[in-house]
Amino acid sequence: MSLERIVSRVTSNQSRKLAGIAKYRGYLDEQFCQVEDLQDEASPNFVEEVVTLFFKDSGRLMSNIEQALEKYPRDFNRWDTYMQQLKGSCSSIGASRMKNECMSFRDSCGQGNVEGCMRSFQKVKREHAVLRQKLESYFQLLRQAGPAGAATRPVM
Amino acid sequence: MRAAEERKGVVPAARRRDQFPVGMRVLAVDDDPVCLKVLETLLLRCQYHVTTTNQAAIALKMLRENRDMFDLVISDVHMPDMDGFKLLELVGLEMDLPVIMLSVNGETKTVLKGITHGACDYLLKPVRIEELRNIWQHVIRRKFSTRDRANLDFYEECNKPPNADSDHVHGHVTCGSPDQSGRPSKKRKEYCSEEEDEGEVNTQDIDDPSAPKKPRVVWSVELHRKFVAAVNQLGIDTCTGNDKYRLYLKRLSAVASQQVSIVAALGGRDPFLHMGGFEGLQGYQAFTSSAALSSFTPHGLLNSPRNNPAALGTQGVPASKSIQTMSGSHTLSHSINDANKYHLSLPGNQKGNLGQGLATSLGQTQMQQKWIHEETDDLSTILSGNGLSNGMSGTLQSVTSSPLLPQELAECTQAKIVSQPSIRTSSVSSEHIEGAVGVSSGLLESRVSQQSTIPLSGFSANGLLIHGSFNNTCANKLGGTSSSCAPARSSNDLMVARDTKGGASSFGGAMLLPPDTEQKYLNFGGGNGLKQKFDDRTADSLFDLKFVWSSVPSSQLASNIGAHHAMSQRWNNSSSNSSNIGARMIGQATSSGSTVIPQMKTDFLVSGDMAMPKNASDLSIPKLQSELSSSSCSFDGLLNSIVKVEKDDVTFSDDLGCGDFYSLGACI
Repeated sequence: MSLERIVSRVTSNQSRKLAGIAKYRGYLDEQFCQVEDLQDEASPNFVEEVVTLFFKDSGRLMSNIEQALEKYPRDFNRWDTYMQQLKGSCSSIGASRMKNECMSFRDSCGQGNVEGCMRSFQKVKREHAVLRQKLESYFQLLRQAGPAGAATRPVM
Repeated sequence: MRAAEERKGVVPAARRRDQFPVGMRVLAVDDDPVCLKVLETLLLRCQYHVTTTNQAAIALKMLRENRDMFDLVISDVHMPDMDGFKLLELVGLEMDLPVIMLSVNGETKTVLKGITHGACDYLLKPVRIEELRNIWQHVIRRKFSTRDRANLDFYEECNKPPNADSDHVHGHVTCGSPDQSGRPSKKRKEYCSEEEDEGEVNTQDIDDPSAPKKPRVVWSVELHRKFVAAVNQLGIDTCTGNDKYRLYLKRLSAVASQQVSIVAALGGRDPFLHMGGFEGLQGYQAFTSSAALSSFTPHGLLNSPRNNPAALGTQGVPASKSIQTMSGSHTLSHSINDANKYHLSLPGNQKGNLGQGLATSLGQTQMQQKWIHEETDDLSTILSGNGLSNGMSGTLQSVTSSPLLPQELAECTQAKIVSQPSIRTSSVSSEHIEGAVGVSSGLLESRVSQQSTIPLSGFSANGLLIHGSFNNTCANKLGGTSSSCAPARSSNDLMVARDTKGGASSFGGAMLLPPDTEQKYLNFGGGNGLKQKFDDRTADSLFDLKFVWSSVPSSQLASNIGAHHAMSQRWNNSSSNSSNIGARMIGQATSSGSTVIPQMKTDFLVSGDMAMPKNASDLSIPKLQSELSSSSCSFDGLLNSIVKVEKDDVTFSDDLGCGDFYSLGACI
């Protein structure tokens, strides 16, 4: 995260958010901050909308991959294509750990390593589940904070 | 406060349009809903007007319905219903809108593919808002280059008044020129002031807006004569307007004079007598001096893919009656070929004439004639219908390829031609040589060199010399190459030419090779391309030049892409001359994109019998690279390797780093 961003965050009274980000270091990266920044009066639920969309879409993509792993054995190109889509989604919301697992899956595809692909995919699924958990509690806190809580996001 | 406005997210449409880039209309296409949503919001935050769709088909439909509905398109590369590159091409061709590619994949080959398909930028996901704040520049750039094209068309119209009588050229021109030079300038200014109406103006001036953007240049002999005469009379400085226009005029006159000098050099007075139209140009022989050459800069000529054909066309065919062939074809080479016929209007087979002329002046053998003949044929075939890029590469191709086309003669021919450097042989004085060199360089530059292929046939070494002469660093290598094969005296002459032609370096800019790429080139031609052992080296030298040219489009295209590419860095690092020129050239070549690429490809169809897939990426260069390494001496192999372009995949040779590749392209 650039220093500028950090400073702006602090000055906008979001030091708690900073702490929150630190806690979630790894799971979510700066891109998530940017998504949060896009939330404003015009789109007050932007983050939640995007995250909901993410889990819906990523669920679909992941089941595509699962099917492909089964139905098209060793079809690394296909697997890679699907996983690239998932990786794109991850990077759009800043799901960095999940994105990393997606990348290692693609590496395995590139190497023609079926074992590696299977392992990586399991990790992707795990990270996906963990992230969902964390974001759900994040939003819960947001809702608990009520309308006023929108301006000061909870520590995740 | 901006924040307050941003939060609103909504700006009245009318107000938006007036406050460009606020309100710029963006069409975002991405099958990933998450990314699309984030992107949309980011764009709204930048105060653009955003339309989104997750299907490329819908996007195309919207664009086709009303091409004026959007200013810019952002598209993902990997989409299920249509490949992003395909969409990119279609949008570039049909609507001529700037397209920015988006992808998670930042692999060089993919980025390169985007560039070669015409993307004006390539962004990596996740996209940051800072990057999106600058995308409006692409819209401006494209409009600017379109305007140039329109201006050229307009200029041509201004100069249309028919007057075939050469005697009246001066008088007529004198009277009309102020208007002629003034109006285009004025029109240009009008264009400048009317940003809003630009689209309309361009539409009006450009024949068929929906068609692929190719400038129409119908340049008649009279037109050119008048133009040259006007310029001569009024002086280049009279042409007010912007620098580009002035340079354009300079180049035209320079080319004209150069061609004249070449003709003179080749055939003495006889060609002149045959070319009635050239009478008015004789006085321009002085242009052949370094002054003319110095005005010959790649800049402007290559301002934009659309511009160039027009510009080059006019240059390439001074007083060439064959110019009519240019109409609709934008192929300088084509017209040049015809022009050559006229220039050396010897009886009998016109193609043969050139050869004869050359033979006469350069002591060429019959073989040379033959390959010249074939060369012109091939060039005509190959280059017809191609636009700028074609012209450029085609010209270059023809320069080097001409000697190589006839395979059976290639080696011998090459040897002969090279040995020609005729600097020693002929009656052609060193001046002429310089002129020829300059011409060829200028011609190459302006793609007019199509014609120059003829004279260059004898000066094929010159073609390579041009490389060297303009590139300070490379001079020793490439230039040295040619001089090495040429007699010592000729090399001196060439050296002189090199030194005196400061402006020529501008051309060199086009052909300039950044120091770090020299090695590559050396590998190609081995700098030995023109050495005595032509048999072995011709292939190398051919590759050498082809390599350079093949990288042209990519460089042109690549340069348009922002800081994302190292190439622009390299480009900037090359010599100031070249970098200025190249940068301008490249910068101008916006949106050359898809229209350029296919054309570029055809340029390599030297033999005319190799099919070049339209979508072949310029990654043929890496192939060339590998070919060169193997150093095949068979022309067939050479040509085949050059032609062999993989349509879908980019084979990026490891021999060339990305940067190297770009810089090579940037050389041009």
